[in-house]
Order: sequence, then structure tokens, then C-alpha cells
Amino acid sequence: MFCEKAVELVRELHRMSDGQLPAFNEDGIRQVLEEMKALYEQNQSDVNEAKTEGKTELIPTVKFRHCCLLRNQRCIAAYLYDRLLRIRALRWEYGSVLPTTIRFHMCAEELEWFNQYKKSLATYMRSLGGEEGLDITQDMKPPKSLYIEVRCLKDHGEFEIDDGTVILLKKNSQHFLPRWKCEQLIRQGVLEHVIS
Amino acid sequence: MADALSEASELSGGEESQEEDVLTPAELIARLEEAWLNEKFSPELLENKSELVECVMEQLTHMEENLQRVRKGDLKASVHRMEIDRIRFVLSSYLRSRLQKIEKFFPHVLEKEKSRADGDPSFLSPEEFAFAKEYLANTEVYLKAVALRHMPPNLQSVDMLKAVPEPCLDSFVFLRVKERQENILVEPETDEQREYVVDLEEGSQHLMRYRTIAPLVASGAVQLI
Amino acid sequence: MDTQSYMPVPPGVGMEENFFSLDDILLSHERLPCRTDTAFPKLGFLEKSSETHDIPEGTKMEMPLWLAKGLYERKRHVISVDLPKVYREGWRTVFGADANVVDLHKMGPYYYGLGSQMLHFENAENPEIAQSILQTFIGRFRRTMDSSQNAYNEDTSALLERLDFLERALFRSGQNGLNAFQLWERGRASQLTASNLVTNYRKRKITELQS
Repeated sequence: MFCEKAVELVRELHRMSDGQLPAFNEDGIRQVLEEMKALYEQNQSDVNEAKTEGKTELIPTVKFRHCCLLRNQRCIAAYLYDRLLRIRALRWEYGSVLPTTIRFHMCAEELEWFNQYKKSLATYMRSLGGEEGLDITQDMKPPKSLYIEVRCLKDHGEFEIDDGTVILLKKNSQHFLPRWKCEQLIRQGVLEHVIS
Repeated sequence: MADALSEASELSGGEESQEEDVLTPAELIARLEEAWLNEKFSPELLENKSELVECVMEQLTHMEENLQRVRKGDLKASVHRMEIDRIRFVLSSYLRSRLQKIEKFFPHVLEKEKSRADGDPSFLSPEEFAFAKEYLANTEVYLKAVALRHMPPNLQSVDMLKAVPEPCLDSFVFLRVKERQENILVEPETDEQREYVVDLEEGSQHLMRYRTIAPLVASGAVQLI
Repeated sequence: MDTQSYMPVPPGVGMEENFFSLDDILLSHERLPCRTDTAFPKLGFLEKSSETHDIPEGTKMEMPLWLAKGLYERKRHVISVDLPKVYREGWRTVFGADANVVDLHKMGPYYYGLGSQMLHFENAENPEIAQSILQTFIGRFRRTMDSSQNAYNEDTSALLERLDFLERALFRSGQNGLNAFQLWERGRASQLTASNLVTNYRKRKITELQS
């Protein structure tokens, strides 16, 4: 049956239901596009035949192929759109700089989309009051205390806190830090929030 | 500031327009919390409250400045700092819910904005409007560049209004009644049921279809919880 | 909670399909017993059992839901669509007796979704089908809800095994609620945690390194 390749693309994403981004399946897309091209050309020639030779019995076949074309288009569009939703999530979870391993899974146009998204979001956040604006990708959970206990899960180097003090984030070291300074590092898995 | 305050007093019914100058910081934060909960629990994007947002941002800056004057290590300082963090959380969470809905429903949000009559209040703030337009353009460019332009001529576009789902106004929401309402028409749930009317007493809480009470959320007569 | 940043397009409600929903695309890949009411010239190769050039009128073949929906027309006879067994009277009686004993995953896994989609095709039994789906859902909902609220910190695969796709989604959302409540009760709701995405990428990297 037609459209098997297209649904395979969809299954591939559906299997990773937690939102991870698998490598962009360029080959899969290409194969679907080829099938579409073939279906379209067959339909063109059958439509001609139906018109010039009055072969109206070809119409159901043309319609059949047209359904397959629409299905292929839907599968590809949904595959791409769902990938955008995953890429969007990366901006909120990792911040604006992505690890190379993940960038490696994106095609050039996806990187372009990500950069545009990043820019729109930054412009929006800058526009919110004051000079610096408001970073709404922070403060994801209601604050319970000003300072929190954190453990360092890997070496991260020097880190400056509000009052200008610099501390060294060394693997396994433990610190008592302003909560809002740590949020992003905790999300990225550099620090761990310790609750006694 | 005065505009924002008068907008805030419209929220409470508009009768106290003489009192608009005495909206205390506590009242301002209460308005923010109302807007936040409504936005968080309503399935669709609500009218923007950018003047309220501006006021809260000003309030935050003001509090930060005050904090600079307090001696370091003063217990009062950490209480104030905590208060700032809390307000910033509510404000961020509020703006986040809005942005999330804009991204989720962007073609519909933009369509609604387009069909809005002159003088009707806008659902989007100017910045949100810019963001939504860029989001749509960015996404259309992407779909086109990766795949659609390689498709047969009659399949090179996707109607985003049809492809991106609309908010589901039939979802159920919890609400508390702030102003007594009479004769609210409730749609039947099953074929055997008939539609019926209810009165909503002040202070009472209900679980209802959002569509039924959407106008009351907009007017501020009920609070989503 | 706004901590989960990946929010996929949800499946459509009732008879609707969402164009971008991966769930709906997989649902519409389910196969239905059909009969052609006209010939489809040149497409014989799609029918494995036949060696002919065309698909002749009156051929019984399985078609995915998306194709059946695309070809079907109420006025003209292009194809007719048969009811899959689970929606026929025999099974409806079984569901009516005790819906809880049925393995809806095996019978489905899109029992509710596909059943609602069947209402697109004209069939005298449609009102009964709609009733039966609804009653089955009501009959099983209590158990789905209770089990999702009572399984804390345990392997839920046995509980999920016999659930339909929609029921699984409900079960999961019940579990999320339960887990969030337990965290809150232990004073951990405000604990900042690493993003799920980050942790899962890391896990995958480690397994890739090990293999």
C-alpha cells in the first residue's frame, strides 16, 4: 500500500513520547517526496487520458491516488510540526545554547527556525517593563526560600553570585546559593537541589 | 499609571471609578493573581492586561530600589526579597501561560485579532501580537523550505487555520462566583437531557463547561480556580 | 504545571481528527474491511491476492481508515465500509454484559477512537454503536480512575495492559496528579529538578557509549 513510508516517519516520533528529538530523517522524507512525485505524474497522465479519450473509468483511480498524496502531505507536515514543538521545548529546558549532540539531530532549516524563535522570544521578553525586561523562562516553580542547598554534579568552573562573590563549582561540592541564580544550572543537570 | 488603575477598577465592576487613585500595592497584586489563575485555567487566551503587567513591573522595580536602601543582613531585607521573588514568579507564570496559548493556537489567535472591530479591546498586547506574527511566519517558512516546495504544485501549502487545532471551549473548569448571577443557561450533556437554567450564588463554587461561563470570566463576575 | 515544555498536538475530540496530531495519524492507519463498488483501473498490484491489472468492482479488501474516509461518498458508490467485529451486535452484547472483562487493548487499541470514526460512514446501526461506545466507557471509567489513583510507586504495566489508548492517556494523567500530590505532601513540590529532556538525553548517551 502507498504511504507506508510516511506513517513510518510519524511512528518514529511517536515512539519517543517524552519529547526527545531523534535525528532528522532526511532519507525518509526524500522517499515520501519521491512517492508523491510518482503518484502525481501518474495522475496527470490519467487525467489527460480521461479528458482526451473520454476514459471516465479512470476517475476513481485518480481519486485514490489523490487521497494518497494528501495523506503523504499530512504525515510529512505533522512530522515536521511535531519536531518544531520538540525544538521549542529545548529552548525552555536547555536555554538558548544547545549541546552539539542535539544540534547534530537538526537539519539546517530547523536550526534556522530555532534561531528565529530564540530571537522572537528574546525581543518579547525584553519588551516587558524596565530596561532589562523579564526572563520568563526562569521562575518555573513557586519560590519557597531565597537560598537553597545545592550539590554540584560536575565541574562547572567559576560562578558569580549577586554580591560579586565568585565561587568555584567543583564536582561533589555543596553550596548555599540564591535560588534564582541556580535554576537554569539545575535544569541543565549541573547542580542538584538538595532537600534535607 | 492612571490608565492602568482605571482598567484595574473596571475589573471590579467599574462603579468605584472615583477610588481609582487609591489602588494599594496589595490590591494590585490581588488583581494580578486573579488574572493569573483565570489565564492558567481557561482553555482559550483571555484579553490582555498589559497595563496591569506594567504596573506590577513598576512595583517590582520600586521594591528593588527600596531594598537597596535597607542594610545588608537586615531581616526585613530578606522578607522583601522573598516578596519580590514571589511576585516575579506569579507574573512570569502568567505571561508564560499566555505565550504558551499563543504558540498553541497562533493561527486562530491572529485570525481573531484580524476580525476584531475597531474599538474592541485587543486580546493580544502589541508585543504578543508581534511574537505571534513572527511565530506564524517562521513556521510557514520552515514547512515550505523543508518539504512543501518539493511537493506537487497543488499540495505546496497547508492551511494553518485548519491544521492547528482550536482551543476546546467545551472543557470543564472550576470556578468561584464573585457576583451573583441569575438564569445562566446550561447546555444538555446527553440527548435525553434538556437545557436548563441555574442561578449562581455569590461565593459558591462550581464545575462547569467553560463555554457556558466564558462571558462571566471576561467580565470578572466569576473567578477560575 | 508548566514544567513540561513539550506539548504535542492532542488527538481530536469525538468525530474530529486533528491534522497535526501524531495520535490521530496512527489511529487513521487502522484497517477496515471494505468492498469496492466501482473498479479501480491500474491499481491491481495493491491487491496481493489478485494478479489482475485492475481492482475490479466488488473486491473485498482492507483499507486504512484515512483512505476509506477519502474515497467514501454518501451519494455515489465508490466503496462500502463494513463494521469491524468489535462494533457488531455480537460484541456489543458482550460489552453490554460486562465491559470490564474485555481486553480493549487487544480489541483496539483505538476502540473508542475508531468507533467514533465509524460514525462517518452511513450505517443503520450507528446510533447503537455510539451508545455502546459511550456505555463501555462509562462502565470502565471507574476502574481506570481508581487504579490510577491507587498505584503509587509500583509497576503499572499489568494495569495498563488491557486498556484502550484513550484510557491509557487518562490513566497517565491520573498518575501524574497522584505523583504531584505525593510530592507536595512530602514538601518536595518546590524542589527544582533537572529537565526530563536533559536527563533522558544523558541516559541515551550513556547507553550509546555502553553498546
